[in-house]
Amino acid sequence: MKSAKVLRSLVFAPVMLAMAGAVTFAASTGAAAQTYPSKPVRLVLPYSPGGIIDYVGRTVAQHLSTTLGQQVIAENRPGAGGITGTDTVARSTPDGYTIVIMDPAIVINPTLQPSMPYDLFKQLEVVSMISSSPEVVVVAPELPVKNMSELIAYAKANPGKLNFASAGIGTTPHLAGELFKQRTGVDATHVPYKSIGQSYPDMMSNKIQFAFSSIAGALPFTTDNRVRPIATTGLKRSEVYPDLQTVDESGLKGFEVDLWLGIFAPSGMPADVMSKLNGALGEALKNPELIKAFAKVGVTARGTSPQEGAAFLKSEFDKWKKVIEDGKIKDN
Amino acid sequence: MIIRAPKDFWSGLMFLTFAAIGLLAASGYSMGRGGRMGPGYFPVALSAVLALLGAILVLRSLVLDGEGVERIQFRPIAVLVVCVLIFGAMIPKLGLVISLSCVTFIAAFAGRETRPLEAAMLSVVLTVLSVGIFVYALRLPLSVWPSF
Amino acid sequence: MDVFSNIALGFGVAATFQNILYCALGAFLGTVVGVLPGIGPVTTVAMLLPISFTLEPTSALIMMAGIYYGAQYGGSTTAILINIPGEASSVVTSLDGHKMARMGRAGPALGIAALGSFFAGTVATFVVSFGAPPLARMALQFGPAEYFSLMLCGLIAAVVLARGSIVKAIAMVVLGLLFGLAGSDVNSGVRRFTFGFQGLADGIEFVALSMAIYGIAEVAINLERKASEVAVAGRVGSVMPSWADIRHCIPSVLRGTSLGSVLGVLPGGGALLASFAAYTLEKKVASHPRTFGEGDIRGVAAPESANNAGAQTSFIPMLTLGIPSNPTMALMIGALMVHGITPGPRVMTDRPDLFWGVVASMWIGNLMLVVLNLPMIGLWIRLLRMPYRLMFPAIVGFCCVGTYTINSNVTDVTVMAFFIVFGYLCLKLDCEPAPLILGFVLGPMMEEYLRRALLISRGDPTVFVTSPISLGFLIAAALLLLVVALPAIRKKREEAMVE
Repeated sequence: MKSAKVLRSLVFAPVMLAMAGAVTFAASTGAAAQTYPSKPVRLVLPYSPGGIIDYVGRTVAQHLSTTLGQQVIAENRPGAGGITGTDTVARSTPDGYTIVIMDPAIVINPTLQPSMPYDLFKQLEVVSMISSSPEVVVVAPELPVKNMSELIAYAKANPGKLNFASAGIGTTPHLAGELFKQRTGVDATHVPYKSIGQSYPDMMSNKIQFAFSSIAGALPFTTDNRVRPIATTGLKRSEVYPDLQTVDESGLKGFEVDLWLGIFAPSGMPADVMSKLNGALGEALKNPELIKAFAKVGVTARGTSPQEGAAFLKSEFDKWKKVIEDGKIKDN
Repeated sequence: MIIRAPKDFWSGLMFLTFAAIGLLAASGYSMGRGGRMGPGYFPVALSAVLALLGAILVLRSLVLDGEGVERIQFRPIAVLVVCVLIFGAMIPKLGLVISLSCVTFIAAFAGRETRPLEAAMLSVVLTVLSVGIFVYALRLPLSVWPSF
Repeated sequence: MDVFSNIALGFGVAATFQNILYCALGAFLGTVVGVLPGIGPVTTVAMLLPISFTLEPTSALIMMAGIYYGAQYGGSTTAILINIPGEASSVVTSLDGHKMARMGRAGPALGIAALGSFFAGTVATFVVSFGAPPLARMALQFGPAEYFSLMLCGLIAAVVLARGSIVKAIAMVVLGLLFGLAGSDVNSGVRRFTFGFQGLADGIEFVALSMAIYGIAEVAINLERKASEVAVAGRVGSVMPSWADIRHCIPSVLRGTSLGSVLGVLPGGGALLASFAAYTLEKKVASHPRTFGEGDIRGVAAPESANNAGAQTSFIPMLTLGIPSNPTMALMIGALMVHGITPGPRVMTDRPDLFWGVVASMWIGNLMLVVLNLPMIGLWIRLLRMPYRLMFPAIVGFCCVGTYTINSNVTDVTVMAFFIVFGYLCLKLDCEPAPLILGFVLGPMMEEYLRRALLISRGDPTVFVTSPISLGFLIAAALLLLVVALPAIRKKREEAMVE
């Protein structure tokens, strides 16, 4: 049995890869299609392999291939915090054969960066939101707080003494921390890391007191309480941490931070292509296997119409723009 | 003024040039205040140290004797740099086969004993080998043929 | 202690047909991508990630681990044969390794690299088995201040890598630090030294830099010489190191292995320092240090052992703490989580089969690498018999493709063109690039740790001396500076006396 499985995957791997190779070639030569999709679709993942986006993107590509009836090839185009990969899609032909998956950085970058190679609202449009995932508030084990209101009280009693970690300037963990400071008036110092995972050793030794972390980043450390999770940032409780209150529940009404992911296409796609793509995505997002795969990393599938997606995108853009401007984050 | 140690003199000058570029570029970055070191602090400090070291080398080269610089032959280095730039210009649109065969063929002329026929054969062999290894064996996302 | 029963359990898991197959596959693939310029273990593991989801987690991890240490192995082959170090650690190997190849001793160089690595891998496997939990606790003692002082120590050691002028060596380190700063600053998000290029937002690509300087600039220099000076044909010599070679290297391998095992445990950049530190140590304890950089076999044995030992022990923080030491390990953590396994201290108790299976597979993998690589040496040497006029276009072509495939980014190729000119000037002016490379790799980390330490201490610089570990490294750095500077001063004085 086992060796059959081995054999299968050994045979399967080259075949899959061969298809990917052949398909990149075909995708680059194609003529205008009569009926979409007549050739493979390229899904750009604008980050390095291995992260949540990579995993979610590849899972979506796999299921979308089935519902679209055409191969969907995930391709990493990392660089410049997602800008490089998004830019290549923004510049491509709006024919539905080149799409990109992005996280909140897509709405944060235009406010944060001094210059952008593309205009988000003019050159890109939402095909569908695809997932949603709260962050989890974690605190150093030595910190005598068990929930959000205790954290706020402790921070107010020790102004300027607390540090919070992030995955870098303008990342969601950073802006969530800023939003927290702005909502509560707490004074805490932001300490950026290259990724949130790197901050955990410092959090375990109480050099860092708290962080708004991705669930996937926090899981290795919260399962045995080497750092203490105290709340999640969705409006509903997280399935990964069902016992934890949401920040909203614990007193900060309306405080919500969502590490959402959405699929975007270059603006000006024909309406029938858009509806076909949106429909196929919506169907793929209902697949129980996809939902199970998402749940492993604390992500919930969530499909939207292009219009709902656009409205959501605008609200997220405004929300983070205000946080960045109020926090004077650009001036640092 | 006599340059007694040309190697030291020119390397000193090279370091001074980089230090100047570093200082110039870093002058636009904030130096930060107090505990919050700005993005400009480290580059400026390093450029200053580099300038100091460059100056030491230049001054010393005027006092102490040292080796001369071997004559620069322009052909090899120029051909190689042009090769690489051509590859960069060709690869995104023209694909691996055309770009690589061009580059290896032109590169061969960086040497003095190049035989055109041999170079052409070599470039064919190398291209076939590379396509085999990088595209078919390792499945890297490289386009093989031109795409428009 | 039931370590032995655990090891037995590990071998029970690792020695199944399936897992040996995956171990061999990983080690083989790793060797291949290590030998090829450009594509490294991260890309390879990333490409195999989707496939790994269909495997059992133990097999998946065994395969990925094999790719990781196999690549460390393969990298030294290219560094020795054609002087193209694909990773920072192989830069050190190329210093003496390539000189040996030029002297017709490529066989012994490759042989000692393989044997030294195997010995180091064996020892490191035991270190992981016996010392994982306490070593992991040690790693946790390192905060930003401690890492900063460690890196400072490493930078000063870098000066020893060069043979010539000490001022030039220091200047090259500083210049390397500056090059390393290009790209988005972690602390402020400001893009520095990008000169308007979007492609530089993530900094200068290491492979572009090292291939330009070591690969192509070296070709330009060689082409200026007469063919007879470059060719190694006709005198390829023996395939294996002699007994005398091996005896000569034993102390170096031992020192390299211990240094590498300890440094590898530190997830914040320790493994990176291993080969550099080992080389510096050898050069300083050797009775005739002049032969270093001129094809001294100890200059290959020590860094190769250190590198491989470090590669092995860098699994400790990942397996026991869930902290990745490098991007490849971050991928492995991701793969485990998809399998529903959360890396951390619990893996050892909850999934002993996985933990010990992977540890045991490392030893099996190292054995396979030796068996795989020793017979290859004869083949590699035959490659060196190729006339240089056929070899150099191949080097140029592979460097181009290698650099481009990393990010599919043309800027990387352009950057490589710039550094070819720079590297050429450096070689012409006797400015040795090895210190620059170490500065380049450590620069951004050093700045990051310095600023983070000061941020957390609210600007109080005493953090660097109040922590005993940090203070220790600072004292070591000062001593090292003295050791580095003394011979130079003494030489000056001798020269002055002669005059």
